[in-house]
Amino acid sequence: MKVSLFITCLCDTFTPDVGKDTVQLLERFGCEVDFPENQTCCGQPAFNSGYKQESIQAMKQMITAFEASEYVVGPSGSCVQMIKEYPHALKDDLEWSERAQAVAQKTYELTQFLVEVLQVSNVKSTFQGTATYHPSCHMTRLLGVKDAPRILLENVEGLNLIELPLKEDCCGFGGTFAVKNAAVSGQMVEEKAQHIDETGAEYLIGGDMGCLMNMGGCLRRNKQDVKVLHIAQVLNSQ
Amino acid sequence: MTIHNRTSFLDRVAENLGRERRTEVKPPSYSVKPQDRVFQGATQAELIEKLEAQCRIIHTSFERTTLAALGDSLQKVLAAFEGSRKVISAGGPRLDEFGMRGIYEALGKGGFDLRIWNEQEGDVTFAEQAGVGIVFSDITLAESGTVTLFNDKHNGRSISLLPETFIAIIPKSTLVPRMTQAARVIHEQEQKGNPVSSCVSFITGPSNSADIEMNLIVGVHGPVKATYVLVEDL
Amino acid sequence: MGIRIGDKPYAERIQAGIENSFMRQAVSSAQGRFRSGRLKAAEDLGDWEDWRTLGEEIRHHTMENLDYYLHQLSEQVEKRGGTVFFAETAEEANAYVQEVAKKKQARKVVKSKSMVTEEIGLNEALQQSGCEVVESDLGEWILQLDEDPPSHIVTPALHKNKEQIRETFANKKGYTKTDQPEELAAFAREQLRKDFLEADLGVTGCNFAVAESGAVTLVTNEGNARMVTSLPDTHIAVMGMERVVPTWEELEVVVSLLTRAAVGQKLTSYITALTGARLEDETDGPEDFHLVIVDNGRSKILGTEFQSALHCIRCAACINACPVYRHVGGHSYGSIYPGPIGAVLTPLLDGYEDHKDLPYASTLCAACTEACPVKIPLHEHLIRHREIIVEREHMGAKSEEWMMKGFAKWASTPAAYKLSTKMARTAMKPWTKDGQIENGPGPLKGWTESRDFPAPAKKNFREWYKQREKRRGEA
Repeated sequence: MKVSLFITCLCDTFTPDVGKDTVQLLERFGCEVDFPENQTCCGQPAFNSGYKQESIQAMKQMITAFEASEYVVGPSGSCVQMIKEYPHALKDDLEWSERAQAVAQKTYELTQFLVEVLQVSNVKSTFQGTATYHPSCHMTRLLGVKDAPRILLENVEGLNLIELPLKEDCCGFGGTFAVKNAAVSGQMVEEKAQHIDETGAEYLIGGDMGCLMNMGGCLRRNKQDVKVLHIAQVLNSQ
Repeated sequence: MTIHNRTSFLDRVAENLGRERRTEVKPPSYSVKPQDRVFQGATQAELIEKLEAQCRIIHTSFERTTLAALGDSLQKVLAAFEGSRKVISAGGPRLDEFGMRGIYEALGKGGFDLRIWNEQEGDVTFAEQAGVGIVFSDITLAESGTVTLFNDKHNGRSISLLPETFIAIIPKSTLVPRMTQAARVIHEQEQKGNPVSSCVSFITGPSNSADIEMNLIVGVHGPVKATYVLVEDL
Repeated sequence: MGIRIGDKPYAERIQAGIENSFMRQAVSSAQGRFRSGRLKAAEDLGDWEDWRTLGEEIRHHTMENLDYYLHQLSEQVEKRGGTVFFAETAEEANAYVQEVAKKKQARKVVKSKSMVTEEIGLNEALQQSGCEVVESDLGEWILQLDEDPPSHIVTPALHKNKEQIRETFANKKGYTKTDQPEELAAFAREQLRKDFLEADLGVTGCNFAVAESGAVTLVTNEGNARMVTSLPDTHIAVMGMERVVPTWEELEVVVSLLTRAAVGQKLTSYITALTGARLEDETDGPEDFHLVIVDNGRSKILGTEFQSALHCIRCAACINACPVYRHVGGHSYGSIYPGPIGAVLTPLLDGYEDHKDLPYASTLCAACTEACPVKIPLHEHLIRHREIIVEREHMGAKSEEWMMKGFAKWASTPAAYKLSTKMARTAMKPWTKDGQIENGPGPLKGWTESRDFPAPAKKNFREWYKQREKRRGEA
């Protein structure tokens, strides 16, 4: 099976290790992974801020970059969801909306792809430690991926998962929200950090780098001894 | 004139909807009907169980009695009551059906000042001073623990509202699963050209409020206490 | 009062909200209770998604045929002896109510809780014509005594604690007892009972009006709306024009959705459906009934992509689910309609000029959309508002506009994108310490005030990938 990696601009720039783990994980399950060089950012920062015309430029770039792919898989529920939005955002342009639809249909979030397409529920990884998982809003509510991360994490050997109180609450990231409404965002992530603290977990696991950067930055500022990991890193751990 | 500015108002609505005014609309058909599934096929006995369980949630005492023992049951409920001895009751055909005249006479001898709605002047003032109001449920909703009253000349709005204690006599035959069935009865009557009463009261237990720090306070403007007396009339 | 509350700018309102620790504690615990109530109610039904679908279909059908159902409603009210006044604006609605009050020589008006009368500023209008207006919902009465606007559409005094309420009662009404909620409520009962009995005019809102009967339905718990509609000789109900349903069968569905989504109750203590005035042989209830149907900007929403905002049944589930509301409280929104639905509705009813920040007061987490019992896509409406603010109203900050233009260029030019991700680490170097930025420049400043920001990686992903491909090629 041929899979094109959709790295996301955050993973590309800030956490290349997540990309490496994603590639290796997919390869372990027999996927032939390629990396379309012309991919950039999904356009969400502009789209969610109301700059639709600007975001459309990013969308067209991404559609072009992934058009030839068989499957597109990315380690982010939020960025994948953005690609799912393309056909709607481009609905006034028949040609582009059809091209967008073709790309959206074959695009998956990493855990979703493992569970739904590859039909894997146990990735045979080992990770020693106590962790809590934050289900990101866009991944669960918009993309509808609720069970896949939990199924995969529950089968990781050595991993002790503790439920995060009020886990479905937003961490306060919200893309440009964290910049435009920084003070409110700061209060929200502080509350999230308290809930993480209540679990006593050593690790915080998530499936979206934006949320993880937000929570990780707060944990670090608070000097809370919790390490932050992307789910790909845990699933690829041996 | 009793309808003002209608034409210009509705023309504007239609214009914004991008069409001419509509004078006919086909009754809608909806894709799902979850309301029909609630307690579907439940027996009357099962509905009573649901009602009794719901009464615990809505801070309402629940008594069961027979037609023959209704007087004793009411006596017992009222005996436990401390407050004004004035009692106001709904009137109408069910007074006789349930033998209420005799029961009320006995209560009167027991020191209660009983009045039946619409038999004398000054009902509202009396109800305001009364400690207890007694009504008959017209339709009883098991799911929510709700008494439906079709208020009319025998059944004033104030009876179930002004006194501190609210007693509803619930004929077992009035029990239905939920509000769906009550709404359907009213809808069907409307379609037959029988207009609904001027006030339909769906009453679920005593009045309450959570306006102060989200603490539940039972008893605000309406009754503070509620008792349902279920009577086997089938 | 009108739809706007307070005159402070958005940033100051938000800051005041964040600093009000009692309010935040109160809101947070209330949200917790609302949430568990709503989830329990949904769980009890088992097929909540079907209920939501039905709710959405009912509201959609009604809105698509709104002129028809409003016509039918008004015919029925007239048939039952009532008077109907269609008001295009707040001013027209207020003037009509003032006129009725004058005709009736009303001195005292009792009201039950109604958002639409807040929206049109009816209390002030009645006071100007010399009436004493008494709010009778416990929360509203507290706010009226304290001259404070509501911060929530279901529990308007959510931001106040019992000590503050005791003090208000003591200062304004000579209350001498404790701050026990039961004692406070008993005092309100005693005080307001007199008002109910003395009032000449009762004013209510309308949760839903049933077109087939001309019935105005009020959904309450305290019993005050029943007092208002049983004791005074005249009843005026004021309704937003969208609050109509075709028949009783639809009524019961939307009522069930409302009570469950709002507070997790199967039904509230009182669902009261009033049709016209009392009949001739009846001894209580109003002799005269008036229904005021208010547009006040609503018809402009019809036929637009925001039409489903008119589906709202005012349950506040979105407000109770919103994490932003939890931290800033209702007053921060500067509108009587706070939270996600407020951020959607307020600019539609009152324009973007004074409310352009509201659609941005959301992380787009979609908790609101998920909670909405009639499936209004609230977060999508918020994004659409943002587009209009930027592209049609040109209200975006200049700096942001330049940044976004730069973004578009960057994201559509792979070479520029590649270069920037490669250079990012060097560019951020002046602010980087131990791989983290603790005090960032420009747009990062707000972020780093409360949390660290990671420095870009030494080597980005695509460099690693390229080298790996190269190694593989050589092998």
